[in-house]
Amino acid sequence: MERTAVYPFTAIVGQEEMKLSLLLNVINPLLGGVLVKGEKGTAKSTAVRALAELLPPLDCVRGCRFHCDPEHREDWCDDCRDAWEDAAEVPSDWCPMRVVELPVNATEDRVAGTLDMETAIRQGKKKFEPGILADANRNILYVDEINLLDDHVVDILLDAAAMGVNTVEREGISYSHPARFVLVGTMNPEEGDIRPQLLDRFGLSVTVTGEHERENRIEVIKRRLAYERDTDAFLAQYAREQEELAQRILAARKLLPKGTIDDDTLGKVADLSLALGVDGHRADITVIKTALTNAAFHGRTRVERDDLLAAAKLALPHRMRRRPFEEGTLDWDRVTEILA
Amino acid sequence: MERGNLYPFVAVVGQEKAKRALLAALVNPAAGGVLVSGRKGTAKTTLVRAAAELAAPQRLVDVPLNVTEDRLYGTLNLEAAVQEGQRRFEAGLLVEADENLLYVDEANLLRQELLTTILDVRQQGRNVVERDGFSFAHRARFVLLATMNPEEGTLPPTLLDRFGLFVDVDSLQERGNRVEIMRRRLSFERDKTAFRERFRGEMETLRDQVRQARTRLPSVEVSDAMIALAAEWCSRSFCAGHRADLYLLETARAFAALDGRDYVLPDDMGEASVYVLPHRMRQIPPQEQEDGAEPPDDWPDDRTDETQDDAPDTAQDNPQDGDGDDGPEDNGQNKPDGDGDDGETGDGRGTPEPGDTLDGAENGESHGEAPAPDEQVASIAKGFFVPPLVWDDQGDRIVRRGSGKRSRTRTDLKQGRYVRAAQYDGKTSDIALDATLRAAAPYQAMRPKQGCAVTVTRDDLRRKVREKRVGMTLLFDVDASGSMGARERMGAVKGAIFQLLEDAYQKRDHVGMIAFRRDAAEVLLPLTRSIDLAKKCLETLPTGGRTPLPEGLEKALVVLDGALRKDPGANLLLILVTDGRTNRAAAGDPVAESLSLAGKIAKTGVPSLVIDTEQDFIKLGVARDVAAAMGAQYYTLQGLTKEKLLRIVRRAGRPAGR
Repeated sequence: MERTAVYPFTAIVGQEEMKLSLLLNVINPLLGGVLVKGEKGTAKSTAVRALAELLPPLDCVRGCRFHCDPEHREDWCDDCRDAWEDAAEVPSDWCPMRVVELPVNATEDRVAGTLDMETAIRQGKKKFEPGILADANRNILYVDEINLLDDHVVDILLDAAAMGVNTVEREGISYSHPARFVLVGTMNPEEGDIRPQLLDRFGLSVTVTGEHERENRIEVIKRRLAYERDTDAFLAQYAREQEELAQRILAARKLLPKGTIDDDTLGKVADLSLALGVDGHRADITVIKTALTNAAFHGRTRVERDDLLAAAKLALPHRMRRRPFEEGTLDWDRVTEILA
Repeated sequence: MERGNLYPFVAVVGQEKAKRALLAALVNPAAGGVLVSGRKGTAKTTLVRAAAELAAPQRLVDVPLNVTEDRLYGTLNLEAAVQEGQRRFEAGLLVEADENLLYVDEANLLRQELLTTILDVRQQGRNVVERDGFSFAHRARFVLLATMNPEEGTLPPTLLDRFGLFVDVDSLQERGNRVEIMRRRLSFERDKTAFRERFRGEMETLRDQVRQARTRLPSVEVSDAMIALAAEWCSRSFCAGHRADLYLLETARAFAALDGRDYVLPDDMGEASVYVLPHRMRQIPPQEQEDGAEPPDDWPDDRTDETQDDAPDTAQDNPQDGDGDDGPEDNGQNKPDGDGDDGETGDGRGTPEPGDTLDGAENGESHGEAPAPDEQVASIAKGFFVPPLVWDDQGDRIVRRGSGKRSRTRTDLKQGRYVRAAQYDGKTSDIALDATLRAAAPYQAMRPKQGCAVTVTRDDLRRKVREKRVGMTLLFDVDASGSMGARERMGAVKGAIFQLLEDAYQKRDHVGMIAFRRDAAEVLLPLTRSIDLAKKCLETLPTGGRTPLPEGLEKALVVLDGALRKDPGANLLLILVTDGRTNRAAAGDPVAESLSLAGKIAKTGVPSLVIDTEQDFIKLGVARDVAAAMGAQYYTLQGLTKEKLLRIVRRAGRPAGR
């Protein structure tokens, strides 16, 4: 199938928080993904699909179904381990990082993987046929309308997201493989809630609304029309910006491991969580990691106040401890006060 | 695949209770395993996985939530059958777990029949296989480790108390600890190997301690005095059955062994009681409440605090629990939090005793002062007690099976979880390949080969039996007329609805709301899963004007009809809240019209509940008549709080959930 053109990420008007949250996850896949909440027609899906163009290449073990990372042997699948034991070396290739889509109506065997029918019937052998979670390893797993996903599929996602391993014990198959993915979900809150356990798996969350400024709305329409009229010309127009952003992502990735954070900053993050009453410790850790990533994105190794503010805005709103029905709102004045 | 480079057990900051419980469970499998309960992000899973490293060379056998029965129990070995024509048993997870650790993450979400089996097998120490033509038993001795997040509902008491130990974890509130957690997590993620190296010494020490304790355990004696103490404590804390006594003693032995002793001290018993007693305490019988509620004075001082904390909480959260734990299986399934998860947060919003409900209702409303002349908005009276809803599935055995949330139903669509295979019925294309091949395997030697290793005939075909969780759909039809606003009734009504909504939130039900007042009924909230929206609707619902009951019923009929057409298997429930004092401007007899519409609602087969709020001195009793015509369960607002369960009878006539 021919690859269809994708609307360039850099051509999306406004929606800065959403764009930032997606970029930070590309720079640091350990952030835990992002949940994008918003009404229809707010460029949610466009942005996620556009992200594909900016993704850096991955170093993958050649021929591996799970694109294992040659650098991280502890996360290898069984095949790669066996290959290593046989030859003590594994060849690798650069392959593009991808956005893997999980459709809402996907069946559990397609998500988790299942018994390979052909091998079973032709050879009488059991072989694992990988599913979407195998594709998603080290990639972005995108679920549109994630709040409509069937409960049992959500359970599979929860299992995999918890430890980065997909364990299959079904249909006569016993298999487990690495499944570390950046989970990106979109939802329209009017169509129902998302399960609290799944919500917590998202590192960041943003709420998008349609552009309300007249100028911006006009710009949105203009660009869309230009894109549809002459796609190639439109893409060419944004080629340089796209390339610059891709380079910036690569630079940030290199800078990220050098990031430092002092105890004073850690203390402030703890104060923030305690004062706001967030659930669990994942909030603290996510704020710190997001701040570090944001600093790297801006070419810095030291975390500054702005990084913490940006991180708090993205990492905290969906983690406010809430009873059923009580709005988990983030008291932004308190945040700025504590981080002063 | 192996999981390397785990976060080390000793590097987990705080959570001492959970650590001790895990150590006890590892040292002594007879302590009955441990269930770690806690909200998200409290290091539950990290702790359990890390604990497994202490038991090496034993390994952690994972039970994923979507496990199928063949993999759990074991089945025919397909390859041996096809390639060598041999009937060989292929071990399931229960065999692999023998002499190892078995781990169920999110245990409250696992199909309950599987969890029941796992708990049975653990208790027996053996698994009896009667499947796929195999009939034999094998040994299965394992340490059971489980975690759960009570936010999505908890386990019924009957399953809960079959875990020997139970421990609640919460996030640490101390600033220094939180900083340390962040620091360690960051350095772990940066360089796992170096981080593990840092804690290697400590891990070795602890591993040795566990190893030595295990060696010592057989020689740890329990004196008669300790046995008497166990019996005393268990009976005083109203634990059901005798399991508690044994688990208490076995856990105390584990602590003694960890401490390097051959004898059990009262301190060991005290520590053990913290993990063994809380989740199995039953409601204190009323007649003994006065003199029996005091904790035994011989309880060790430093432990009583925690144990006491949990005790009243457990009792309160299960107000309907008094009827014992031997009821039918699904009796326990719909109970609200039974594990006291909010016991320590102390936010004062626990389920109140039925006794103080009406007071609470009035309190909640007293600040809704200065009503507008015609319209007013009553605030929600919080703390209003409404008993939980329970389906009574008469003659509907299919839906009874298993549980989780409200109920499960078998589905013919290709959706839902594949639970087992059954003989092909020619109707579906949902073939269970694994089961089909196993069915065909034994005959391969006799069948002509057609270029494939396996020749399948029609008789071999098996289909997938799938199960899907079904929530309820609650449709509230609320009278918001001026008469409801009178005497602060609306606050209590909102309180009652709020309770039902809160329950619905945990069970992930759909809800919808219709309000009727002035001269019309309005769908305030179409059927949705967003309970938050329903809450907002409820909060801002004003009262005022006349009572167009017929319009309200007609609108309900329209919504129900639409829902049934969309999904004939939907578990609908209509909840009508009215004082029945219907009047309106339009011509016609509103009472007669209401009764006729109620009859139509009865014909849809949708079960219904009428909550009568009529409190006037002279009662007209219209709501009661409407309830009768609708075939509804009828409660008065006051009577509602006295019930233990709201039993919703699903009548035959409309096949529910098929």
